[in-house]
Amino acid sequence: MDTARYAALFQAEAREHLAELDAALLALEVQARDGYDAVAAAAHVATLFRGMHTIKGMAGSMGYTTIEKVAHALESRCEPLRSGDEALHAELLALLFTGTDVLRGAIDDMARGVETAPATIGGLLVRLRRPVSEPAANAAERARELATKPAAVASTTTPGAVNVRHLDVRLVDDCPLKGVRAMLVLGKVSTLGQVRATHPEQARWQEESFDGVFRITIDSGVADEALEQAVRSAGDVAKVHVRVPALASQGAQQALNASALPEATRTVRIDARRLDTLLDLVGELVITRDRLLRAIEALDHPDRDVQRTARDAARLVSAMQDEVLQARLLPVGQVFDRFPRLVRDVTRELGKDVSFVMEGREIELDRSLLDAIGDPILHLLRNALDHGIEDAETRVAVGKPSRGELILRAARDRAAVVIQVQDDGRGIDRTVVLQRAREQGLVSPDLEQMDDETLLRVIAHPGFSTARRVTSLSGRGVGVDVVNTRVRALGGQLELESIDGVGTVVTLRLPVTLAITRALLVEVAGTTFALPATHVEEALEYHESMQVRHAERPAVTIRDDVVPLMALDERFGLARSSPDRPDQSGERGGDRHLAVVEAGGRRVALLVDTLVAQQDIVVKPLDVVRGAAPWFSGATVLGDGSPALIIDVSSLV
Amino acid sequence: MSKTVLICDDAIFMRTMVGDILTQAGFEVVGEAETGVQAVEKYKHLRPDLVTMDIVMPDMGGIDAVREITKHDPQARILMCSAMGQQALVVEAIQAGAKDFVVKPFQPSRVLEAVNRVLAA
Repeated sequence: MDTARYAALFQAEAREHLAELDAALLALEVQARDGYDAVAAAAHVATLFRGMHTIKGMAGSMGYTTIEKVAHALESRCEPLRSGDEALHAELLALLFTGTDVLRGAIDDMARGVETAPATIGGLLVRLRRPVSEPAANAAERARELATKPAAVASTTTPGAVNVRHLDVRLVDDCPLKGVRAMLVLGKVSTLGQVRATHPEQARWQEESFDGVFRITIDSGVADEALEQAVRSAGDVAKVHVRVPALASQGAQQALNASALPEATRTVRIDARRLDTLLDLVGELVITRDRLLRAIEALDHPDRDVQRTARDAARLVSAMQDEVLQARLLPVGQVFDRFPRLVRDVTRELGKDVSFVMEGREIELDRSLLDAIGDPILHLLRNALDHGIEDAETRVAVGKPSRGELILRAARDRAAVVIQVQDDGRGIDRTVVLQRAREQGLVSPDLEQMDDETLLRVIAHPGFSTARRVTSLSGRGVGVDVVNTRVRALGGQLELESIDGVGTVVTLRLPVTLAITRALLVEVAGTTFALPATHVEEALEYHESMQVRHAERPAVTIRDDVVPLMALDERFGLARSSPDRPDQSGERGGDRHLAVVEAGGRRVALLVDTLVAQQDIVVKPLDVVRGAAPWFSGATVLGDGSPALIIDVSSLV
Repeated sequence: MSKTVLICDDAIFMRTMVGDILTQAGFEVVGEAETGVQAVEKYKHLRPDLVTMDIVMPDMGGIDAVREITKHDPQARILMCSAMGQQALVVEAIQAGAKDFVVKPFQPSRVLEAVNRVLAA
């Protein structure tokens, strides 16, 4: 028998079944919470049964005893469900979730060519063998009870509620056979949850060098005290320390959940803050590299050796920067995965019929971006459900399928990651928006047609939607300004495409990583600001003679173009040491500069005191507080250690 | 009522010593076995609360005896008695279903601790 080929087949097929098991359990959990549909539930139970049975059969043929045992125990436990002798209840559901995880763990272990230690599965087998003996009628009662108490279910059965703890254990010094004692400890705690990992790994516990200090990482629903007690009950334990892993954010826990054991040998878990620090340091290293290269260039008689070494160092720094940025990437699925539930809830609340599709969950983004895009996406999804997609009746009346479609999509587009929220709803009512925009003076009064860009600018205008409610628009703009602000703060862009009666697509275009960007540093009233180079068209010396007035506003002429002028000190309310305002007459001004910036097709000439330098900066996002200075998208630390705010150009034009 | 114990060891010396420790602590030694086969038979017959099991015995070793006993009664509480240098065998015994272990030479306090742990579990 071609073992390797069969093993690969086994892995591939077993994983398909595991995915089906998960889906069926999740569906059953939803039912446990929202009420049963007997026919659908029976189908899910049948899926569970079949999946476990198939895995058992395959494992048996392969001689994978552990997997076979676990699958068999799970299958047996499902039998009364299938026969209708037992109704599904929260404990059983939780047990089946745990069981499936253990099964997955065993299959993962086998992929690495090792059989899961009996101690890992022992506790589960016992719990599966011992039926949670409850008469069916009683159980059905409980199920109903649970259905009316969603919170209670959530706390006991939610599979997402991973509860990973590190148990740091030290055995007493004179403990004989420390390796065996550690095994007993593992045996005790493994009855309380699923053991994710041990350190050192179990295989090394029986080595001469094992000193009785070890860590068990366990995913368990029981309290810290109970875990500690279980550890101590194994005997000869000098010290136990129970703690939540540093990676305590929910996202990280989910990642831990998803990757579980198999990756443990090849991956190292690092506190996310360390990665942040590392990125900061690399960022500063990049800046230092540039300074070094410039300094060498400026030498009159550069030493060739120094030049070459500096170039090599520069290359290494770049490579290192790439690696660190790579290390921070996480799949967007980590954020997306919470949306199906939310969409489902909102849809129900609104009494609409919507199918929700997610694409590109595997696309990767920097983790700081990932943290920040969840809320904006949620906003957009809500908007689409609230105002975009019509109710079934309306849809049928206009000849659309009664069920609406909402798509959340992630894709790579060159250096950017594009996230789209697309609905097939009614689209944004331009007539109403245009009318309101005219009233509020957001567009020129003689504008007849609004293109998508203008439409977005209007609805993203702070306060546009809050001024007065218009029924047919019904707050379509709510939150778009918040989304827009947030996306821009991340160095991204918001795009909009809306076709009347056909639907709306909102696109978030994000950099793959925040990190480092090129900027023009300018000084205004003694303070340094950074202008992202992508927005800077040119920088030039300012002369009083350039100044004109255009449409009652100050402007400058630059090579026959009239460009609006904005004095940054005034705009930011900074006190100037010398009161030479640009609109005051006088011969001053020759030592000041203009930075012509562009965003969204519009230009403005920013009047600044000095152009300091053009250089790479490390972007640290600001948490934009609504109402607080909206002109800044982030901050950076300059080479000399002083901070500088990064100007959000699109907020100025 | 005091807990009942079955002591399995091929050496009379060890049986006596373990018996003394346990008796003094208030346990009732209801039987002794010199071989694995005897241990299994006596377990089925006596159903003691606790078994102390030597690893190396003639006829049937302690580990096989643990397997047989737990096959018969998965709840059986078996404490392995091992000598230094038998780590791998103890591991095997635990995997076979033994609940805890003590290492020779026996210290009465350690033996009693282990016994109490096994009975408490």
